[in-house]
Amino acid sequence: MTKLKQTKQTFLQDLLDFQGSLNGKSQFLDEVRLKAADEVRNTPFPHRKDEDWRFISLRDLYSDNYQLADGMEVSLPDISEHYLPESEGARMVFVNGSFSEKHSSTEALPEEVEIGNLADFASEDHPLVKEHLGKYGNFEGDVFSSFNAAFLSDGVFIHVPEGLKVDTPVHLLFVQTDAEVNYFATSRSLVLADANSEITIVEDYIGLGNNKYFNLPVFEVNLEEKAFVKHTKIQRESKEAIHVARTGAFVAKHANYESYTITLGAKLSRNEPRISQRDEEVEFTVDGLVLIDGDQVSDTHSVMDHRFSHAESHQLHKCVINGKAHSVFNGKIFVRKDAQKIDSFQENRNLLLSRKGLVNTKPQLEIFADDVVCTHGATVGQLEEDEVFYLKSRGLNDQQARELLIYAFALETIENIAVDSVQKLLVDEVHKYTERQLDSQLTT
Amino acid sequence: MSETEALESMVGGEYKYGFTTDVEYEDFPTGINEDIIREISRRKNEPEWVTEFRLEAYEKWKQMEEPEWPNVEYQTPDFDKVQYYSATKKNNGKKPESLDDVDPEIIETYEKLGIPLQEQKQLQGIAVDAVFDSESIFTTFKEKLAEAGVIFCSISEAIQDHPELVKEYLGSVVPKGDNFYAALNSAVFSDGSFVYVPEDTVCPMELSTYFRINNMQSGQFERTLIICEDNSHVSYLEGCTAPMYQENQLHAAVVELVALENAEIKYSTIQNWYSGDEKGKGGIFNFVTKRGHCRGDNSKISWTQVETGSAITWKYPSVIMQGDNSIGEFFSVAVTNNRQQADTGTKMIHVGKNTKSTIISKGISAGESNNSYRGQVKISPRADNAQNYSVCDSMLIGQTCGAHTFPYIESANPTAKVEHEASTSRVGEDQIFYLQQRGMDEDDAISLIVNGFCKEVLKELPMEFAVEADKLLGIKLEGSVG
Repeated sequence: MTKLKQTKQTFLQDLLDFQGSLNGKSQFLDEVRLKAADEVRNTPFPHRKDEDWRFISLRDLYSDNYQLADGMEVSLPDISEHYLPESEGARMVFVNGSFSEKHSSTEALPEEVEIGNLADFASEDHPLVKEHLGKYGNFEGDVFSSFNAAFLSDGVFIHVPEGLKVDTPVHLLFVQTDAEVNYFATSRSLVLADANSEITIVEDYIGLGNNKYFNLPVFEVNLEEKAFVKHTKIQRESKEAIHVARTGAFVAKHANYESYTITLGAKLSRNEPRISQRDEEVEFTVDGLVLIDGDQVSDTHSVMDHRFSHAESHQLHKCVINGKAHSVFNGKIFVRKDAQKIDSFQENRNLLLSRKGLVNTKPQLEIFADDVVCTHGATVGQLEEDEVFYLKSRGLNDQQARELLIYAFALETIENIAVDSVQKLLVDEVHKYTERQLDSQLTT
Repeated sequence: MSETEALESMVGGEYKYGFTTDVEYEDFPTGINEDIIREISRRKNEPEWVTEFRLEAYEKWKQMEEPEWPNVEYQTPDFDKVQYYSATKKNNGKKPESLDDVDPEIIETYEKLGIPLQEQKQLQGIAVDAVFDSESIFTTFKEKLAEAGVIFCSISEAIQDHPELVKEYLGSVVPKGDNFYAALNSAVFSDGSFVYVPEDTVCPMELSTYFRINNMQSGQFERTLIICEDNSHVSYLEGCTAPMYQENQLHAAVVELVALENAEIKYSTIQNWYSGDEKGKGGIFNFVTKRGHCRGDNSKISWTQVETGSAITWKYPSVIMQGDNSIGEFFSVAVTNNRQQADTGTKMIHVGKNTKSTIISKGISAGESNNSYRGQVKISPRADNAQNYSVCDSMLIGQTCGAHTFPYIESANPTAKVEHEASTSRVGEDQIFYLQQRGMDEDDAISLIVNGFCKEVLKELPMEFAVEADKLLGIKLEGSVG
């Protein structure tokens, strides 16, 4: 099915025609989908005049036709090189948004952990799915999270029962294949960590080709009392892809949510993590690293919603920009009325390496309680020539010195990631990036 | 006056300038349309090009919508109920030649405000232009300034006496259709000050304008234009007060600064319009567009503001640094109490090479007020080696107020360096305890801490005003802790 002309107003609404061909049927799923489809019809498509969208253009997204990835013929090469060794037997694989049983295996996880395809759990009317789905990741007035819900089907469901500490990190691998047509995929994931439980998740998006597609995942996490969730997201989509993601996490008393978002791929990517406090005395981290070049655009809009007293939150967001790339950061520290004793820290640091690159940053504080310590900082600059000189005086050549400094700049955000192989993978990515950027600098 | 004395003098938290002056006004219809604009122009005896300027702005304004992005909530003024021109009967629309022609009531008013206009009592070293509602009443030290070649008069006089200068620069920094309230101002602007400092001149004294809104129905739409030629320097300050009325009055001003090569303009404001009562009734709507243009190389424009009044403030003094090596500065203390709302900050636009800007903003919110800092730092692609340093600190007093920070940073040049930091906190119990332990009572302790918090900005103010500002802060926050 092709469409002659897309306009931005009807762009997502037109895609709703594909709704009928979705996998997984149940009354519950149908209700969710139809309600969400209505929301899509009634929510205007974002525009540059909207404060939240003023720095990026979505033209690349709506100027093309897409078809539903579900049911599309797929030729999949061997993907085992992307598996994390720590997560043998704790891996779920999705190909173009559809669950691939063949590649997945979860036998290394304790039996008590409920894990599997969300569509299956939802079709069976799993009470936890019915209770929690959409509570954390459906942002109000946001057409993209509604659109994701309208195509609710495959995705991750993980439930860690009370008191269980899962040692094996769970690898959620979302593979997007090379294809001749533009397709769209919408996965939905729901992670529930009960009281005193612990789990580590690696959410990993890989584009295998250089093709254009539109990926719109929504990830929901709920932490009950004293739960501890470590969540790493790696986005390495194809260089032509569009990746629009929402992550919603709710954090209960004494719980700790640690998240790291690494953006490497996609032509246009938009991340919206929103962390909300459900009770007093919580801790959360929303760190991020963005390495972009060429004509990539990366936009991060985060909200740290402090609703109750006594929270400690931390956000370090670093971006390295080269070529004609454009990086946007809008981080909001929100402290509601009577949420006292909040200690919140936010820092956005940008390394702008090229003359054609562009940085927009808007760290934002909205504070309605007086007994708080909230700070934010933002910097934009290039490598310090003094530092380069210092390293050169120690015997490094110019290229080595610069590489080392970029590497050190990026490292701060990834050194706390819990899974060793992910750290190693990212160190390699940083290395590749700096090599690439220095090469391009030498040739221009 | 030492700091402790300044603090001691903080007595009574009331608004001291809330009295009204009983003067007779000329009749002037309310509302806005072409005829009214022509009538304003006629009464001011303006040349055709000024009338045209106003009418074009009015056309633009009609097409525009009121901006909704500021973080403030208020009832949009009914533009048909505002009186756009307000002249006292005694003056009959003409500026008095000497002080004898000025309504004694008005002279007394200024005396009460601490700005004596009589020659014997005039403040030494400061030339004052007194603006009462829509008219400039009197300008002191004009002759002395003229000796140095400096023109200091009301904008209406300047239009009559120096049309070539006004024509060249009016609207060149803030265009007619710049924004909703700037367009409205361009259509109906009344008196403001005009300053022209010729080449190679250091203005021999501080220039100052004192704005007073008295008429309940009228809005004030002053327009100020300051031009500093090559190698010149001027320091200008403005103060504002208004009586306490139950209704809101509209104040929509435009200030344009032009600094040519090696010129330096220092612009200080102490804004103390009536801010409304505890329940948020009454007070001034302060919607102001202020912008400076560093047109020449090595020029410098510095804004310093102490914002304590107004029910709603919406104000972003900006600097466009076009000349190479030019410098923009913004120092601000904004205090809100009761139901006041302030959305204020600055824009620093770096265009030229090696341009440098500094932003120091201190926001204090108390009562049920909301205080927002909104600023933009923009580095254009050719602004090599541009540097910006911003600090925005907010302090909250009490549990019902809000403090917000919205800094926008855009950098398109890799050789530029932009640094921004912000923090929000409150007066620490341990700090108060420490001072109390040294024998100060709680109010004094808080005053001292607040003063310390604002010190970086207050030290930028001219001497006389620094003392004034110190006092103002104390009075403003009196009784808000406890």
